[in-house]
Amino acid sequence: MNAETLARRAFLQDMGLGFGSLALAAMTAEESLSAEKLTQLAPRAKSVIWLFMIGGTSHMESFDPKPALNKYSGKTIDETPYAGVLKSPYLDNERVVAFDPNNGFIRNEIYPLQVGFQKRGESGLEISDWWPHVAESADDLCLVRSMWTEDSNHGAQLQFHTGRHRVDGFFPTVGAWANYGLGSLNDNLPKFVVMGDPVADCCGGQEAHRANYLGPQYDGIPLNIDPNNPLPYATPPKGVSPEEQKSEFELLRQLNGLTAATYPGDEAIRARMRSYELAFRMQTAVPEVVRFVDETEETQRLYGFEDPKAKDFGQKMLTARRLVERGVRFVQVYHGSNGGAGRWDAHKGLKSGHTNLCREVDQPIGGLLKDLKQRGLLDETLVVWGSEFGRTPGSQHSDGRDHHPYGFTVWMAGGGIKGGIAHGKTDEIGFHAVENRHYVTDIHATVLRQLGLDHRSLEIPGRKRLEKDFGHVIQEVIA
Amino acid sequence: MRNSTLSLLTCFLSLVCQAASAQVDYLDEIKPIFTEKCISCHGALKQEGGLRLDTARAIIQGGDSGEIVIAKVPDESELLSRVEAEEDYLRMPPEGEGEALSAEQIAALRKWIQAGMPAPEDEQGQASPESHWAYQPIERPEIPEADSDSLLHPIDRFLAAKRSDVGVEAVAPADAFTLLRRISLDLTGLPPTPEQQHQFQQSFSPEAYESVVNQLLESEHFGERWGRHWMDVWRYSDWDGYKNQLRGSQRHLWHWRDWIIESLNADKGYDQMITEMIAGDELYPEQPDVMRATGFLARNYHVSNRNIWLDSTVEHTAKAFLGLTIACARCHDHKYDPVSQVSYYSMRAIFEPINVRTDRIAGQPDRKQNGIPRIYDKDLKAKTFLFIRGDERQPDESSPITPDVFNSFEIPFDVTSVSLPVTASVPALIETVEQEDMASADLNVQKTREKLEEFEQVEPTLATGDSQKDVPPAPEFPQKLEDDHLEASYAARAADWKRRSLKARYDAEKARIDDESSQAFKTLAKIAARIERRSDAAQARLQTFRAWRKLQEAKDEKARNSLITALDKAREQERQKLNALSKTDAKFTPVGERYPETSTGRRTALAKWITHPDNPLTARVAVNHVWLRHFGTPLVASPSDFGLRAPLPVHAELLDWLASELIESGWSMKHLHRLIVTSDAYQLASTGDQQLLADNESIDPENEYYWRANVRRLEAEIIRDSMLFVSGQLDQSLGGQEIAHGKGEEVFRRSVYFQHAYEKQMLMMTIFDAANPAECYERSTSIIPQQALALSNSSLTQSASKHLANKLHSQSRDRDEFINTVFESVLCRPCSDEEREACRGFLEKQENWLKEQNSEAEDRKDSAEGEDALADPTLRARQSLVHVLLNHNDFVSVR
Repeated sequence: MNAETLARRAFLQDMGLGFGSLALAAMTAEESLSAEKLTQLAPRAKSVIWLFMIGGTSHMESFDPKPALNKYSGKTIDETPYAGVLKSPYLDNERVVAFDPNNGFIRNEIYPLQVGFQKRGESGLEISDWWPHVAESADDLCLVRSMWTEDSNHGAQLQFHTGRHRVDGFFPTVGAWANYGLGSLNDNLPKFVVMGDPVADCCGGQEAHRANYLGPQYDGIPLNIDPNNPLPYATPPKGVSPEEQKSEFELLRQLNGLTAATYPGDEAIRARMRSYELAFRMQTAVPEVVRFVDETEETQRLYGFEDPKAKDFGQKMLTARRLVERGVRFVQVYHGSNGGAGRWDAHKGLKSGHTNLCREVDQPIGGLLKDLKQRGLLDETLVVWGSEFGRTPGSQHSDGRDHHPYGFTVWMAGGGIKGGIAHGKTDEIGFHAVENRHYVTDIHATVLRQLGLDHRSLEIPGRKRLEKDFGHVIQEVIA
Repeated sequence: MRNSTLSLLTCFLSLVCQAASAQVDYLDEIKPIFTEKCISCHGALKQEGGLRLDTARAIIQGGDSGEIVIAKVPDESELLSRVEAEEDYLRMPPEGEGEALSAEQIAALRKWIQAGMPAPEDEQGQASPESHWAYQPIERPEIPEADSDSLLHPIDRFLAAKRSDVGVEAVAPADAFTLLRRISLDLTGLPPTPEQQHQFQQSFSPEAYESVVNQLLESEHFGERWGRHWMDVWRYSDWDGYKNQLRGSQRHLWHWRDWIIESLNADKGYDQMITEMIAGDELYPEQPDVMRATGFLARNYHVSNRNIWLDSTVEHTAKAFLGLTIACARCHDHKYDPVSQVSYYSMRAIFEPINVRTDRIAGQPDRKQNGIPRIYDKDLKAKTFLFIRGDERQPDESSPITPDVFNSFEIPFDVTSVSLPVTASVPALIETVEQEDMASADLNVQKTREKLEEFEQVEPTLATGDSQKDVPPAPEFPQKLEDDHLEASYAARAADWKRRSLKARYDAEKARIDDESSQAFKTLAKIAARIERRSDAAQARLQTFRAWRKLQEAKDEKARNSLITALDKAREQERQKLNALSKTDAKFTPVGERYPETSTGRRTALAKWITHPDNPLTARVAVNHVWLRHFGTPLVASPSDFGLRAPLPVHAELLDWLASELIESGWSMKHLHRLIVTSDAYQLASTGDQQLLADNESIDPENEYYWRANVRRLEAEIIRDSMLFVSGQLDQSLGGQEIAHGKGEEVFRRSVYFQHAYEKQMLMMTIFDAANPAECYERSTSIIPQQALALSNSSLTQSASKHLANKLHSQSRDRDEFINTVFESVLCRPCSDEEREACRGFLEKQENWLKEQNSEAEDRKDSAEGEDALADPTLRARQSLVHVLLNHNDFVSVR
């Protein structure tokens, strides 16, 4: 083994970079040979901000308004011209973990829209009045209105991130694959960061941001918006001064260096030494990200800091921007965790519930989009917004909607995605995705494509991935 | 795994490069297409349409419907028209079996046909299951001749023969310190103390080493260390769930963990361990200790969906013991191994009747507090159906599947129903259970009587159950006293009847077991039923009275209303019980649960088949797991897949020899460990002469020939345990209930005893690549900054540093002596001159700096921050030094 390979191998073992990165590094080197035949693709985005609403946001009352619901309000689906939806073969896509006698039914009595909607921006995308701030960026949004998934219960939260039904077990998430495939742009910060209380254990738990068989080095790292305690173990114990720690690290480097010299073939020791250096830098870099002292009042206002209801998520959005600005590759942000199905799960009281929840996230997300744009970061940052499924056109408990896996919306913005378009369609009552249907992994494939990864090359020996795990790039939405 | 990624990549790149040139290379360009897209249906396992596509020869030959390629005429070749077809019913691979070929792939095929299908003469086809190495019987190989007298150990002779074939040479043995630390950590998970190091160094010899090995194998920490390894493979998981709701595994599953540790310490045969885990309930129904073993199956319990439960049972039984990945056969015939979808469901049928229950433990009647979670055959008639395409909504009810194993290997799989002892079907009849329940009923009688006697010495003369009137208040006495008195008498009566009822029901239950059709049973059943009805009435009276009293004490209207409803309910209940007194039937409540009196015996048959000495997989898979954990790399690269995708390992003879040894020693794990660790190969240094290293690495960079020891990162548990051990803080007590995962930095027990379940794992463990409770056949070892943060900033390291520094500081004031001892305590080796020099410099610098801090602090003594720095600068600097060594690379590694 020559020195060059040694160094490279040691480098790759360092900082959680794996062979995925080597593969890509090697491919980049070969790129000049024949660009079209190589799987490495030109990246269109450096980073992804992945926003996930836990519980199931109503698609009709958000990004896919359906006036027919008002027209047929109170009628059963059978009494409308759309009775055919109840015989669609798409219904067979539903898979349940276990029969739930209360939820997860097709609700027959049409429930009217609980909010108005308007055409927004030059593109005239129709967006509900619960999302006024996000709607201001309508011309940057690409609404994918034709999503479908399998699980009619909240295991769909896990499925949204791994592409696999809860019954199939745990698999690497989209963020983990990005982490595995991409190199680091900032040696002081992890590549994959998670914010917000995660999905609850019913529905996949932390497996919704983990790497599973790729190994824990590719897991998302949970970050708290607290400069004193941003990461587990990120701050020195009480009473240990920075000077003291610094000289300890110096001795440690010296001693490890002596051992490394005795064992020249030991790559791990060098990698460990570097990991300590990174850790030491992280201790400063990570708290700095969540300390907003250098953010103007205007910026803070943009993210909704003045609204006590929006402030919490606003801080996360601002942190997300600060993270991608510093080169973090994948930022996953959860909203609506409540230890169970999630706060967006509007079986009853949809109107008051969604009004509140939208107020918590709309201005922060809208602020994020505008801020990214004004800083020129939106071109290289892909923002994805989604929820595990939509909600039924019919009513439940008279003022709510049930789970709806057959048709719902995910939107993307920036990162080389066309703005101001709606891709795909649900039928007139928002029941089935009927045009350009997309399973959840199509979003994964598209996101990975924009990051420059060929999603089909993301596989490791001994772990066969299925067709549906890979998904298909949604070519039509790429700018 | 990583290497194969690289080689796949290389092969991919070369494919791409060559496509650009005019030449077509069959092996590099064409064969991989067939392998990826076609051979699962047109290969050794299946020959759809009589066609095989695993060799050029077979491709040219064609299938049932004739030729598929016509040399130099691609446009007339069926092969091309089928892969290019746009119609779903024509296209190959068919929908659902794989993506269509890419344009590049089709172009390559075209070019190859155009060129006249050139291919090498000696091309090998896909291996057939009949000839796959791992499915062949284990035949004890001859030990190769030694070419030198010094090589006596059979393992070394096998390895030496291979090494000389490729031209690598083993490095020198490890020094005494390295070896002692390695063997101690490998066998017990605890490092050697400085005293043990000195003793070993002074007597360093093969005999001394052997005696150390024996001592370590006899240590009870051996079971903890290897128990954790097998817990990985056997998917140990404590119960998981939201708040107190159980969703997966079972409460008190730690009994299984204790069984694993105890069994390994007792050197119970591996065959016996498997048997007890799979069929302990059928074979040893009266041994609660053995019952713990079935936690292996109880662990798979899943609350929401029984299919998840049974699928993981099938999948992981096959992976753990047989090294077979068969989960994909749930939906379709296995594409790489001879496991049909039917045989998957045959294996499931073995487990179809199972369910879980919790057995009582002597001394603890409350099974919520403690008990043994165990498996048993509940539904003896449960049918197994194949799910079409694995879809549980589509069971193929036309043909129920019978229990069977996927491949007989000519070993009998005979299912014989097992009849269970009465204590298994009626656990209440277990002697201790009966005694405890009777004793508790007696105690209740006694207590309620004593209470009553506080009011009066004579038996109360209250109307029994036939009273229909309302509860009478007694106006002549102070209300409170009279009510207490009345309640005490009702309670005493209820307790008395309850005891009599229990006794009568026991008598009847026993008579039933004896002979259900006997006159004795009929009589006793009638008596039991009658007494039970009276007892019920007495309990109901007590309840009514209590409800009435609560109502009298009601504070406000709202409380009153709900108490009135409660009283009405109690009254209604009592009325029913009183009415029932007129009945004369013989229906009594059984004394406890009644379970089936037989078990299907399917799991016993499976256990016998798995542990049969002729089973080609069991011993090989086990040996590979043990070898992996001693050497850091396995003999067979995929420990959970010995199927057709696992190529013949380089050290196949060694594997088979060790497997034979394991079987012939009566499946003694300790024998296997002893064999492995006493080999020279195990005792090699991890480094050596520079020239030799360079030469060897040029031939075998991955150390496939074990010419040196691999440096290994310690497992998460062992890092934590070692830290507590070297600092003298480890609580070495064994066994017991799992400890909350959040307490890892407060409770200093060994890590194996902490909660280990989905969403319930110690953070420190997951940071250091702890086993995923759902599946872990091999630990990964990452090097990430979070590990550095955890080791440097956790309170655990802080407390360990302080403890150890304080102890050594009090033993010696001398700086060099302190440095020497710290190295021995933490890294288990002497420190080098250079290291000592560095540490001296550090201590000096830190002391001076701390003194400065102190004098500055003197000036602002009142301030809180001055407090800490005022500590003894020498001691504080020494604590820092220990802290540094606990973060040393070699503290978390085995050299």
